[in-house]
Amino acid sequence: MTFEKRRANTKQEIPTASMPDIVFMLLLFFMVTTTLREVDVLVKFKLPEAKAIEKIENKRLISYIWVGYDSRIQINDNLVTLDDVEPIMYAKRQALPNVIVSLRVDTNADMGLVTDIQQQLRKAYCLRLNYSTTLKI
Amino acid sequence: MIKKKKIAEAAIPTSSMADIAFLLLLFFLVATVIDVDTGIGLTLPEYVEDIKNVEVPKSRMAAILINANGDVLLDNKVISVFQVKDNLKARIISKIELPSNKKLIVSVKTDRKTKYDIYIQSLDQIKQAYFEVRDEYSNTNFGKKYNDLVETQQKEVQAKIPIIISLAEPEAVKK
Repeated sequence: MTFEKRRANTKQEIPTASMPDIVFMLLLFFMVTTTLREVDVLVKFKLPEAKAIEKIENKRLISYIWVGYDSRIQINDNLVTLDDVEPIMYAKRQALPNVIVSLRVDTNADMGLVTDIQQQLRKAYCLRLNYSTTLKI
Repeated sequence: MIKKKKIAEAAIPTSSMADIAFLLLLFFLVATVIDVDTGIGLTLPEYVEDIKNVEVPKSRMAAILINANGDVLLDNKVISVFQVKDNLKARIISKIELPSNKKLIVSVKTDRKTKYDIYIQSLDQIKQAYFEVRDEYSNTNFGKKYNDLVETQQKEVQAKIPIIISLAEPEAVKK
């Protein structure tokens, strides 16, 4: 006696015709959300940690100032001196009136330097400030 | 009879399209930076040439002094950084119902040699104190946390509990 194997009569194939469409959708999502890295950070820094932090809602308004562990200051792609901060930031503010300055300062930097930068920012009328920190858990 | 010429099929091979799309996708996946910028927000005062000193009654002020060693002084008492929050909270709460020109002003003054880290920690403590008071106030009055309130309610809470932080310029190091 022979047994007939029970097999479903349906096709055993996954329809792949729509796969490119799905992938393109994903692709489009990532293309839209991507902001390509614009600058190379030339200074070494470790951000401080804090609990009461806020998100910056608009990324396009942010302008960064880096301060490394060796007190070097970087704006855009260049290392700058303290006296350069004011003219550069003033130009930035003219291009973007409600610019938010994000200070990415190393934990071991001196407050004197940070205050000097803040004085420069005040002179340049860049008054919205954000001390960049990571979340303390 | 003449045989009809077979028409060549004019189809673009699409089987590799998915692969190409995947490659592109992979590129954007790698290039994407999703980290959101987080930090402690602050608005600096405008720069004025000659600073006029405005007298502020002592009861309004909470003066925080931080020296180069990271010792914290709140109203002439030495405390640790982590006590700042609890100390301030009581004072903020006591001033909720006062008019806006009598709210608490937190003044932070550092030495030039103070480490940035300790400054951020104290700022963090101040912000936490304010946020907790705001949360408690919204909870009792609206039954929700501050972040879940609608905008008009948030404005109301902000008016009741404004965050006023004054950053004093550090003094030059005394020799």
